[in-house]
Amino acid sequence: MSYDYLFKYIIIGDTGVGKSCLLLQFTDKRFQPVHDLTIGVEFGARMVTIDGRPIKLQIWDTAGQESFRSITRSYYRGAAGALLVYDITRRETFNHLASWLEDARQHANPNMTILLVGNKSDLAHRRAVSKEEGEQFAKENGLLFLEASARTGQNVEEAFTKTAAKILQKIQEGVFDVSNESSGIKVGYGRAQGPAGGRDGAVAQRGGCCS
Amino acid sequence: MCQKMEVVLLILSWTILCHKIQAVEILLLPALKHLLLKFSHHQSWIPFKILSCGLPDSMWGRFFRNAELEKMVDQDLTRLYPERGSYFQTSGCQGMLRRILLLWCLRHQEYGYRQGMHELLAPLLYVLHVDVERLSEVRKDYEDHFADKFDGFSYHENDLTYKFEFKKFSEYVGDGSEFEETSVKASSLTELDPVIQTIVLLSDAYGAEGELGIVLSEKFMEHDAYAMFDALMSGAGGVVAMAEFFSPSPYGSSHTGLTPVIEASAAMYHLLSVVDSSLHTHLVELGVEPQYFSLRWLRVLFGREFSLEDLLVIWDEIFARDNKKFNKASDSDAESNSGVLDSPRGAFISAFAVSMILMLRSSLLATENATACLQRLLSFPDDIDLGMLVEKAKSLQALAADAKNSNSLLLHPGLYEGRKLVLSRVHSLPRDSTSPRTPLGVEPESYWEEKWRVLHKEEEHKQGAVEEQGSNIRKRWSERVKLRLSRTESDPSPSKKNQRTQVSKPSSRRSLLEDLARQLGSDDDKENTGCNDVEHRDKVEANGNDVTDKKFSNIPSCVASEENSPNFSDPSSPVHRNGDQGNQSESSSVASNSCIDENEAELGGTNPERPVLRVSDIPDGLASRCTNDDSMGKSASGMKERRSLSGKFNWILKLGRDATEGTSKRPGASKGAKIGNDESGQNNVPDSSSANGCDNSSWTSKGETVDQNLIVSLRNLGHTMLENIQVLESAFEQDRGQMGPQEENGLVGKGQVTAMSALKELRKISNLLSEM
Repeated sequence: MSYDYLFKYIIIGDTGVGKSCLLLQFTDKRFQPVHDLTIGVEFGARMVTIDGRPIKLQIWDTAGQESFRSITRSYYRGAAGALLVYDITRRETFNHLASWLEDARQHANPNMTILLVGNKSDLAHRRAVSKEEGEQFAKENGLLFLEASARTGQNVEEAFTKTAAKILQKIQEGVFDVSNESSGIKVGYGRAQGPAGGRDGAVAQRGGCCS
Repeated sequence: MCQKMEVVLLILSWTILCHKIQAVEILLLPALKHLLLKFSHHQSWIPFKILSCGLPDSMWGRFFRNAELEKMVDQDLTRLYPERGSYFQTSGCQGMLRRILLLWCLRHQEYGYRQGMHELLAPLLYVLHVDVERLSEVRKDYEDHFADKFDGFSYHENDLTYKFEFKKFSEYVGDGSEFEETSVKASSLTELDPVIQTIVLLSDAYGAEGELGIVLSEKFMEHDAYAMFDALMSGAGGVVAMAEFFSPSPYGSSHTGLTPVIEASAAMYHLLSVVDSSLHTHLVELGVEPQYFSLRWLRVLFGREFSLEDLLVIWDEIFARDNKKFNKASDSDAESNSGVLDSPRGAFISAFAVSMILMLRSSLLATENATACLQRLLSFPDDIDLGMLVEKAKSLQALAADAKNSNSLLLHPGLYEGRKLVLSRVHSLPRDSTSPRTPLGVEPESYWEEKWRVLHKEEEHKQGAVEEQGSNIRKRWSERVKLRLSRTESDPSPSKKNQRTQVSKPSSRRSLLEDLARQLGSDDDKENTGCNDVEHRDKVEANGNDVTDKKFSNIPSCVASEENSPNFSDPSSPVHRNGDQGNQSESSSVASNSCIDENEAELGGTNPERPVLRVSDIPDGLASRCTNDDSMGKSASGMKERRSLSGKFNWILKLGRDATEGTSKRPGASKGAKIGNDESGQNNVPDSSSANGCDNSSWTSKGETVDQNLIVSLRNLGHTMLENIQVLESAFEQDRGQMGPQEENGLVGKGQVTAMSALKELRKISNLLSEM
């Protein structure tokens, strides 16, 4: 598969807010009511098309409880986008957003695009955080915002693509130095921007032989 | 509701004021506790919570902390093995898990609860559960032999400290305790099946040890599980303490300042670099940091990577190993680095992790970015041959233990230069104590002589007793001699080599052994011209090999598994390869007579049968799968031969490990090569060139006799072809895997289908070729 860009995403948020379920819904289009808890980090990948451009997303799904700076720090490295997830039925997961954000700001690329996800929107009857509060928090902190449901799949796709679109926009605005891998962006085949380095070459080769 | 809340608020504020008054505890009746928890998430409580948490020792502080802990544990327990609902989701099991975890966490506040701990506990409880079930079965059948009436008494009823889900638990416990009258009347204990006998004796409350004689009992199951869990977490006085892997602070006396899990991961990567430097380089270059995957592997001790049944086998292996710290009297400088895996058990864990990585070798080598690589590492295939994996780990264990000694090299990216040098020196080391070309090691050369002597003695001592080991050694030995001789007889035609290069897929990936290969090339040339010194060299090299083998003989399985390494790192199919070995062994033993060596006698009896059997025992599907996996990666990088060489070298390299430290500081790789070249004409101990040549021959010497040359080269061609096909297939597969569900249907076009069918055809052809 060829792609124009490859973005690294990271999903963060308290334990049990549904990070892994969001990922599973996005990559496999299914929902697992009881998902194994994540230990350390798990991974997913999918192609999306933004503005007619194939973009590959590589997603790092992190453990919510992981609080070891020495380990989590490196998860952020080279991430172009982040989904910061809370559970609309559990107030405390919303209350912890600030500390997650601080973590991200501290360890991630400053240009990383962050989208706030209020997950479990299907459980509106148990809602403990209003949509407005979420929007407000996002606005104050310069985040994108969506309420989504990993169970129904509502807005899951959008959460990932909206982030990708924003990143793409930033690239076009020249915010990123795409040749620098720490941006979390790799240029794929069919988009020769400047001389392709060794690894880009590898990407190009694979893209070429299979498309 | 509001009124109630006010009351609670009142009580709360009052107790905060006088939190030191112990009498307040009376207020903590379960009902109140429930009420408190119910409202504790209401926003108006936040100030109180903050206030109470600000007083670390306050009862309310503890109360809320413990409530958090309980909530967290409960949340995780409901997610424990959800698919295995049968046992782990029963209320009895959940209750026990919950109590054990809570108690352990409260008693070890420095760790607290960390996700994953429950997955270390669950298998322990499961084992006890299974054993207890078995016990009650036996008890049913052989009731007469169980004189113990103590079990009928439910001790919980009088236990005031017992609070959690008492009813459910006692129901659960009660299930098995009533046994029926229909029991087999065996006249005496001695007539029973020995297994049953043991079970009966182990539960003999009135035996020699009285109540202590009850090793297994339903009512002590939870206690036992706690004790086991505690021992596992704390390491029971040993080195490997699982709790460390959950700890965010640096390990005990470690001067590295790394958290234990990172330190252990680094140790594991180090071992990988020793065993398979090319794979290690690949992973490092992709930016795959070991803790990304080993965090999970280590924390739950491989629990996520295997089914529970397999896991228990692995744990048996792990726990069977001593957990005492290594005695390292010899190396005082490395001593300061007290590793978190610094015991036989730790070494095995490290070795096991590495063999897991090696299992995925080819598929890892085929990946082009960290995420894809990690994805594979964290979705370990569930159809692996566990026995093989364990064998491999056993074989690596000694290396893992040794690797600790050179831990200081851990994070050196430039290791390879030094390594290559060592590599080329390995064979010269044992003999050449005075040579000016090898004055470089930290270890004086006499050290090697001494080591050789010691090993030799051990070997002699062993020989009579351990036939298997002997045969392994002999085989290895003779194989080497054979390979060497045949190489000197019939050097591969250059065209053959070219073929190989052409067949292999061009790749942009860099190959760390390119210059090594260059060395090999020049070596071949030299061989052609310098045949007259072959005999002498063989003799010398025989000694070299001898020492090599002896070192291995200390870890017999190591030898065995290297012989069988096709499954892991040898590019050719195991069956054919072993066929080769079988055919050639006879002539090789004859050939080896030309070597004058004290081990000459051994050579006559060369018997490679055992290893051959071992490999062919492996189920067909698996064997082929392994080879597939394996070969894919290798040819993917277009470096099949070289990689396989490097694999071999790494084994040899290990033997020269101790000298590495010194070497790495010394001249660059180019100098190493130069040494080899300078030496080529001299009737002296072979240096790099012959060391390389020896292994080089393993792929060039297949055409041992002139008659077989053609067939063998065709066969090789077949193998190479097959491997390349597998690479293509894996590339396809990879792409398919990475596409989204929707794209899959749309974008997998006709072209891909035809390509796949073409591949199938090619595969058939290559199968034919390789079966010649």
